[in-house]
Amino acid sequence: MTALKINGTMRTVTSPAGTPLLYVLRDELGVMTPKFGCGLAQCGACSVLLDGEEIRSCVTPFDSIEGKEVTTVDGLPGRWARQRGLTPEQAAGKLHPVQEAWAEEQVPQCGICQFGMMIKVTELLEHNPEPSDADIKAALTTSGPSPHLCRCGSYAAILDGAHRAARLMAQGGAK
Amino acid sequence: MSAPVNAGPQLSRRGFLASGGVLVVAVSLKPSLAGADIVATNSLDPARPASWIEIHADNSVLIRTGKCDFGQSSIFTAYRQIVAEELSVPLEAMKTVVSGDTDRTPDGGGTFGLLRTNVLNLRKAAAYTREAVLDLAAQKFGVARTSLTITEGVVSGGGKSATYGELVTGQDLRLTIPVTGDLTGFGGIQVTGNPPLKPTSAYTIVGQPFANSSIRPKVAGETDWVGDVKLPGMLHARTIHPATLGSKLVSAGKVDAAQFPKARVVVIGNLVAVVAPTEWEAIQAAQQVAAETKWSEWKGLPGHERLQNHLDERVDWREVPVRQGAANKGDAPTTQAKAAKVHAATYFMPYMKHAPIGPMVSLADVRPDGSVTLHSHSQHPQLLRSHIARMLGTSEAKVIVRTYPGPGHFGRSNGGSAGSEDEAVLLSRALGLPVRVQWMRADDMQWSTQSAPTLARIAIGLDPSGRIASYKAEHHGPPMQDDRPIGAILAGLPTIPPPSATNPFSLHNAAMNIADRWVYGAISNVEELGHGTDQIGQRESPLGIGLRDHSMRTPVQFQQNFPRELAISEAAALAGADPLQFRLDHVTDERVKAILLRLREESGWVTRPASVRTRDGHGDAPLRGQGVSIMLRDNGYWACAAHIAVTPASGEIKVERVTIVADPGIVVNPLQLKRQVQAGCLMGVSQALHEEVAFDEGAITSADWSSYPILTMAEMPEIKVVIAARPEVGIYGQGSESANALAAPAIAAAVLDATGKPVRRLPLRPEYLRTS
Repeated sequence: MTALKINGTMRTVTSPAGTPLLYVLRDELGVMTPKFGCGLAQCGACSVLLDGEEIRSCVTPFDSIEGKEVTTVDGLPGRWARQRGLTPEQAAGKLHPVQEAWAEEQVPQCGICQFGMMIKVTELLEHNPEPSDADIKAALTTSGPSPHLCRCGSYAAILDGAHRAARLMAQGGAK
Repeated sequence: MSAPVNAGPQLSRRGFLASGGVLVVAVSLKPSLAGADIVATNSLDPARPASWIEIHADNSVLIRTGKCDFGQSSIFTAYRQIVAEELSVPLEAMKTVVSGDTDRTPDGGGTFGLLRTNVLNLRKAAAYTREAVLDLAAQKFGVARTSLTITEGVVSGGGKSATYGELVTGQDLRLTIPVTGDLTGFGGIQVTGNPPLKPTSAYTIVGQPFANSSIRPKVAGETDWVGDVKLPGMLHARTIHPATLGSKLVSAGKVDAAQFPKARVVVIGNLVAVVAPTEWEAIQAAQQVAAETKWSEWKGLPGHERLQNHLDERVDWREVPVRQGAANKGDAPTTQAKAAKVHAATYFMPYMKHAPIGPMVSLADVRPDGSVTLHSHSQHPQLLRSHIARMLGTSEAKVIVRTYPGPGHFGRSNGGSAGSEDEAVLLSRALGLPVRVQWMRADDMQWSTQSAPTLARIAIGLDPSGRIASYKAEHHGPPMQDDRPIGAILAGLPTIPPPSATNPFSLHNAAMNIADRWVYGAISNVEELGHGTDQIGQRESPLGIGLRDHSMRTPVQFQQNFPRELAISEAAALAGADPLQFRLDHVTDERVKAILLRLREESGWVTRPASVRTRDGHGDAPLRGQGVSIMLRDNGYWACAAHIAVTPASGEIKVERVTIVADPGIVVNPLQLKRQVQAGCLMGVSQALHEEVAFDEGAITSADWSSYPILTMAEMPEIKVVIAARPEVGIYGQGSESANALAAPAIAAAVLDATGKPVRRLPLRPEYLRTS
């Protein structure tokens, strides 16, 4: 048995050693926002934050990350609340600014890739609060093991979403 | 099952309720059928309160549609707006959209042409409902019906007023409306009759930029996606597909029980799968079993490198009757023979994949009584239901298809199946437990259908003044629609017949339709011909499959618009003309002229003849070019300009800017249309630059995102979308499909402009540029 911190909560995992984190999250722990896209670290649909750095959960054995904290899109509102020191009352019903921006800018078409896109943009904005177009494109293309792919072609909307998320974060979240 | 009904709408009061109240709009069915098969095959029993539209006492409105949303949002935006408009209620009242589920929606039909004809069902149902509510109000207020008005959901007249909710409070009202059609057929059920529709000049809700109500729950992580559905006791399965598209099973491997104690192999004909209680065990055990499973050898495909040659020389195009274009006129061959100059060339488009980001996944639960519940992501759930019933040899009444959001796959399932659904059903039946089949990336690349290749020969004759005197196009290719579920074929179970020259269903005929809507009204001699054939490898494959084709996003028209538009640009170059002005000189429709003029303004177009110099393309200094394309689709007019840079040394193309001008008639939702156009355009750029299915003599060898690359964000051009609405034409415009097809010919024309060399094939990969 291994203990993992998932979205701020300690969880005990009983999956066999070597099981990729994606299947532990989805099948054992019921954390469903990381999606299966390729199983090959080629698309980014399964991305999660590991101590704030984006990784591909489809190729990361869960037992290789003991002691580190995993954040998925489900955990982004809690992550934001902790980072900003929000009280439960202040945090109630609030999405992370990246999620809020994705809704306000109407970013998704089908949306299956957007969980990975939002994770990657959260990582970017935590390091670089005012990214340029080039910074955003680089983050989603060359910074990880593969580009984050969108089949529907929502890249223009993602660019708008990332800039709006940066503005929302700078103003302390959605009003 | 066809259920034509001639009766007009009828409102009846079924009783009075102590609290609440509801007006239910149900389908009315021919009485003689109502008690018999129609109930068995129609998921909606008209005697039950299932309906198209429900208006509740709290003024909220619920709508139901058999169509599903595939990410372009029309179900959650345009459909709500159009119904709200007909009812004259605020959009916010449209609280619930029930879509797709075969037991909870009335009309069937597929997710395509959503604003073209499909929306008429709900629009008419809403109009019938509004008329019935006006009758109720007239009765209640004791005033003439003509004195009533409806504003923001409030009916007023004779000094009295009431909301929709107040008018139905305390009553159980049932409105029946006339319908026709076949619930599980391709077109589904259509609402008939001609209820008075609100004049478009009175629209206040259509045309507004409302948000897509499905997005916030998606980004919040609250949505159940198709892959997220779980059932107690379910098993995870992985299919082991054959070694080639013609291989039969010789022997299935066995599970290493020491390594994978809970996994087991299931064999049904040539369908092999491994199931296990956990997903990771199923994946690993399937890999182990696959390595030990033996298949017969088969070769029957030309290989992608010889595909153009195969279409050019190996196919007997006389086997399938030729189709004529609707715009054919004059005498193109004779005119061409006398032309001052002729541009004649051959164009080629390869197989392309729908390539959803997530491979197909389905969960099936087949019960001992033979009932089937299938959890899936389909563009045509009622048709999928009929495929499953056919496969099992059971009644459609035994099958329920529930639908969920999933990875967009752009037409692949508009005939029902996208892959995995039938396999899940067969495995669940065999094991007596719910089974979830998740295709792996390679399954989805190699065992799904694809967009068919096309070879086009275009000849354009110019008169001495440089105007087009004749246009002749011959489009050659296999058909675009194989709707047979692949698991059923592998299992040797019944399916609909394969596409062939003798298939009576027009979509499954091997003929090549002319889908290219003609826009050059000033050309006097036009001949467009379509030459079809069987799917490549289908005859040779012992499984009867080969390379299965399917419509994709802008089917057939993509493949016919690319060669036409690039050839028109080449003809402009031959005439020494500016390609945009050249188009203006050959169109007659004012709507086309208007978008071309607008494109010239908005795109920074420089009016000049296209480059015809053969620049010695060496070195790293980029050559820049501009290209234009136009398209007419679904009564929407579209124009596109691409600005690109080519690096001669590498042949690499950078698409720097794309400008699209769209005149789709009525714009239902400009915000959503902008997003649809941007996205459709970028998928088109991806197809233009990268996409080609690789295959050898037996199998598809594109297996993942490195062997089937698509556009990355770094390659994204700047996109400018200009929406030029024409509400006076009275037609709702479609969005993303046209945008998808415009980019490739504009980019190819820009390459011609930049380099002086035409590249007459897709994708515009560096190696093809260097060798062209």
